[in-house]
Amino acid sequence: MYLPDFEYYAPATLSEACDLLEKLGPEAKVFAGGTDVLSKMKQELLFPKAIVSLKNLGGLSEIRLGNNNDVIIGAKATHNNLIDSPVLQEKYPSLCNAARQMANNQVRNIGTVGGNIVNAVPSADLPPLLIALGAKIKLVGATGERVLPLEDFFTGPNKSVIEQDEILTEFIIEEQPFTGSTYIKFALRRSGALAVASVAAAVAMEGNVCRKARIVLGAVAPTPLRAKKAEEMLTGKEITDELLEEAGSAASKESKPISDIRGSEEYRRDLVRVLTGRALRKAINEGHV
Amino acid sequence: MGDNYEVIGKSVPRIDGVAKATGRAKYTGDLKFPNMLVGKILHSPHAHARILNIDTSEAEKLPGVKAVITHRDVPSTKYGLSPARWDETIFCIDKVRFVGDKVAAVAAVDEETAYKALKLIKVDYEVLPAVFDPYEALKEGAPQIFEEYPGNVNTEIHQHFGDVDKAFEEAYHVRRDFFSGQRTYHSPLEPHASIAFWEGDKVTIYCSTQSVHYLQYHLARVFGMPMGNIRVLKTHVGGGFGGKIDPTGLDFSAVKLSQITGRPVKMLFDRKEMFYNNRGRHAQYMELTTGVTKEGKILGVHANFVMDGGAYTGLGVASAYYAGALLTVLYDFDNYKFDMVRAVTNLPGCGAQRGHGQPQPRFAFESHLDHIAEDLGIDPLEIRIINARKPKTVTINDFRVDSYALKEALEKAREISGWRDKKGKLPPGRGIGVGNGGFVSGAGYPCYRTDLPQAVAIIKVHDDGSMATLYTGAVEIGQGSDTVLLQMAAEAMGYPLEKMRIVASDTDLATHDFGAYASRQTLMSGWAVKKAGEEIKDKILKTAAEMMLVVPEQLDVKQGIVFLKAHPEESLTFEEVARTYFVKYGQLIGQGSYKPPKLGGTFKGAAVGTSPAYSAATQVAEVEIDEETGEIKVIEAWDVHDCGMVINPALLHAQVHGAFYMGMGESIWEEVLFDENGDVANGNLAEYRMPTALDMPPVTSELVDSIDPNAPWGVKEVGEGATTPTMACLANAIYDAMGVRIESLPLTYEKVWRALKEKREKEKEKA
Ligand SMILES: Cc1cc2nc3c(=O)[nH]c(=O)nc-3n(C[C@H](O)[C@H](O)[C@H](O)COP(=O)(O)OP(=O)(O)OC[C@H]3O[C@@H](n4cnc5c(N)ncnc54)[C@H](O)[C@@H]3O)c2cc1C
Repeated sequence: MYLPDFEYYAPATLSEACDLLEKLGPEAKVFAGGTDVLSKMKQELLFPKAIVSLKNLGGLSEIRLGNNNDVIIGAKATHNNLIDSPVLQEKYPSLCNAARQMANNQVRNIGTVGGNIVNAVPSADLPPLLIALGAKIKLVGATGERVLPLEDFFTGPNKSVIEQDEILTEFIIEEQPFTGSTYIKFALRRSGALAVASVAAAVAMEGNVCRKARIVLGAVAPTPLRAKKAEEMLTGKEITDELLEEAGSAASKESKPISDIRGSEEYRRDLVRVLTGRALRKAINEGHV
Repeated sequence: MGDNYEVIGKSVPRIDGVAKATGRAKYTGDLKFPNMLVGKILHSPHAHARILNIDTSEAEKLPGVKAVITHRDVPSTKYGLSPARWDETIFCIDKVRFVGDKVAAVAAVDEETAYKALKLIKVDYEVLPAVFDPYEALKEGAPQIFEEYPGNVNTEIHQHFGDVDKAFEEAYHVRRDFFSGQRTYHSPLEPHASIAFWEGDKVTIYCSTQSVHYLQYHLARVFGMPMGNIRVLKTHVGGGFGGKIDPTGLDFSAVKLSQITGRPVKMLFDRKEMFYNNRGRHAQYMELTTGVTKEGKILGVHANFVMDGGAYTGLGVASAYYAGALLTVLYDFDNYKFDMVRAVTNLPGCGAQRGHGQPQPRFAFESHLDHIAEDLGIDPLEIRIINARKPKTVTINDFRVDSYALKEALEKAREISGWRDKKGKLPPGRGIGVGNGGFVSGAGYPCYRTDLPQAVAIIKVHDDGSMATLYTGAVEIGQGSDTVLLQMAAEAMGYPLEKMRIVASDTDLATHDFGAYASRQTLMSGWAVKKAGEEIKDKILKTAAEMMLVVPEQLDVKQGIVFLKAHPEESLTFEEVARTYFVKYGQLIGQGSYKPPKLGGTFKGAAVGTSPAYSAATQVAEVEIDEETGEIKVIEAWDVHDCGMVINPALLHAQVHGAFYMGMGESIWEEVLFDENGDVANGNLAEYRMPTALDMPPVTSELVDSIDPNAPWGVKEVGEGATTPTMACLANAIYDAMGVRIESLPLTYEKVWRALKEKREKEKEKA
């Protein structure tokens, strides 16, 4: 395995980076932590003519509180930055826990949140919970910027709405009514394994009544998938064991898994059922965990 | 243990520990030589194809490429680790037989150029139908992979001892079960590497290998060179587990490429190429029939196996024999039949992996035995105690077993695991299981027919006695053999360990030894070292006696002090005695050599499984199963080992932990998978899932007292034996936790989930 030849750029400003991307065209690839880009290049799955590194762009790895108590996460924040962030530990420790379940410490040290999203692999660990929490993303391009819900970002495996000249700069999690949220990853060993199926849940509880629920499934569809029927079943309802079980079954029906070397379609579908129930129970009973 | 000894029986730190922990240790891939080139091998993209033409002209033209070789440039001599089936050539000549087969090699100024050159080699193939399953391969009309193996039968074994049919007739209960294993791969941390360079007609090869001797032997044979013109040596080796015992394409290619270019050539496998080279565990398909008395005594066993050998044989014939041969050791029974067919398929060739051929049959037999115990209403641990072999016995297939403390191991394991409080009393989803195993302490005979001794050692004391060097051909691959052999040398000489150095596994500078496989070095290399040390001790005592005007019998030497046994205060230092010896007689040298007595019977295949001594082990494990998802958590494990006298307890327990770890991976997680074209689908460490530290349970490793009369100080093996019970003990624990048996390895979460689902559905149907 070796890296094919490529040109390398490390622009100093965001606008320079976007201009470069526009000029270089589709054969240029943004490079953040490189944990995905480099390994794909070495496996000869990706042959970019040019690499545009984000390493000189300042201010994109901050995790802070913005206006109206919004949580802002810079796209260059690493998974370990997420885990160590006092802001997240205070507001959404569930996100810290989701990041902690990823990869291994070495990868968590350099892999970024932005990379995990733009990569757009169905098994990625951060999209489900970020979508469940209603995160929006900011995309900056050569001619302007736009903000859109993360939920609308993915269009298929390795596919999204991002344009060639666009760079994902930050995530915005607006203050939400949710009282609890969590992410459960089911993988085939305790560390260093990709999800076979995963479920994120966020719930807004009032006593034992669920006012709002979001359930997002990972690794069981071409994109992270909201289990909307299951969400609806819960909305405005008193939570009972039976209801949670029904929600699990509904989510399972909504999932569209495939069979691969990590698990069969049938297995994944049943995992969704079980994990949905567990995730909801956890978010309902334990808060943001 | 070890109370009467000065150096052995103690957990001294391993001598390479600091270098490894600080990153200073250099492995073969780290070495650089002036002018060195980098070589790479071109692998076949097809599982089965005829080679019509190979055009290397474009590759040769690429700037930086110094040589391109194919079968036309190298001898066509066939080789294989075991001479029973020499069927591999350096490069494929007329056909490729699996995805990853060796077609050509290049040497270039750097790795990148070498990779680019590979892409420029044009090979025209005529693709042939391929077969990936041993049962399919054995069917009439299946694609023929080798001319020499009609019907794709590589090895067929039929052994019958006693009268199994009669035993079954007389038995109170006869049970038949079928189990299957999977292909696994050793996955040593350090990839294979080889560096070759020539001086005149002599070539030197640095190799990450388990045996410098076998590599030297096979290079000499294939290239038609005197062994003396080939020097094989190694630096640190990052694990082997059986995967670095066969010569590889790297070794042959590096030698040839460096001969052509006149420059050193370094070659490495990447992770996927390691899976191509393979020689990992065979997948076995195992039917077992056993007849027992009402009390659970085994009367007879019939093992009827098929194994998938993959493309080339290597050591695979021995694997096939081992699969059945060692089933007779643990439990004593008088009637045994072993049938085996080893098929060739269009997949990477299999070979020896920790426990060689035996772990899967042990998984099958120990699972089978649990079923028998259940049928009879006997506790699984108890049925093992009832049948455990006794010391000083001979197996039905003629293995002499002198020391053997399996019964004691079982009893101790029952104690320390809390078996009686747990078996049948654990909450739902929890289970406890037991499995037994053991191994040879060195194979009785080398891999090829020869009358060479198993091991030779020399100890040279420095002129002034201030240090001593042990020369051995034993190979340190991470298991700690350098440390252990130095402890043995120091003990035998009566010398302090701190003053000893080692020169090991270098065919020029060190001594002959067959290397690190079949768990042989502590016993076999240890014998040679002990004898060499004792010769030094003799010479020291004789010289000291001359100096002290006494007779040698009145003297002893310990930790570098020679003293009168009756008056220990009257003493000389080893150093001054050694110096006197040097002045009077020349260099103080001790030499030892070891060759076992003739072992085993005379029937076909009788040599496989023979050994001077057999280890025994019991493992108990406790697991927890998530009944909804099938996830398995191994909660705790206990290993009790009969491994004879222990030279270094810390290293021994580390071997047990490592062996359990490896067995656990093969039980639950690890399996080499292939795509529809026969290419390895998970040839990386992300998808070939070895357990991580987080998956590892606490392991308690304990010993039972045992001293083997055929071994130096009574030592036996531990490295491989401790892997053999693991799959069964986990399988039995999982069975205990869920009440249904999964008959195929690995016992994945999905299989557990499916088995539980089916169980629930059946229960519903009944209700
Ligand atoms: C050993 C290993 C284990 C892994 N385990 C996991 C795991 O458990 N769970 C998991 O989800 N992932 C895992 N991954 C995948 C990967 O590490 C993560 O997805 C990581 O977050 C990617 O981030 P990066 O910064 O390294 O991305 P890069 O490799 O730099 O980029 C990935 C993609 O995103 C694009 N990109 C990156 N940043 C931006 C940006 N700001 N704007 C626009 N485009 C951008 C790149 O062009 C590229 O297409 C693993 C990877 C490895 C090597």
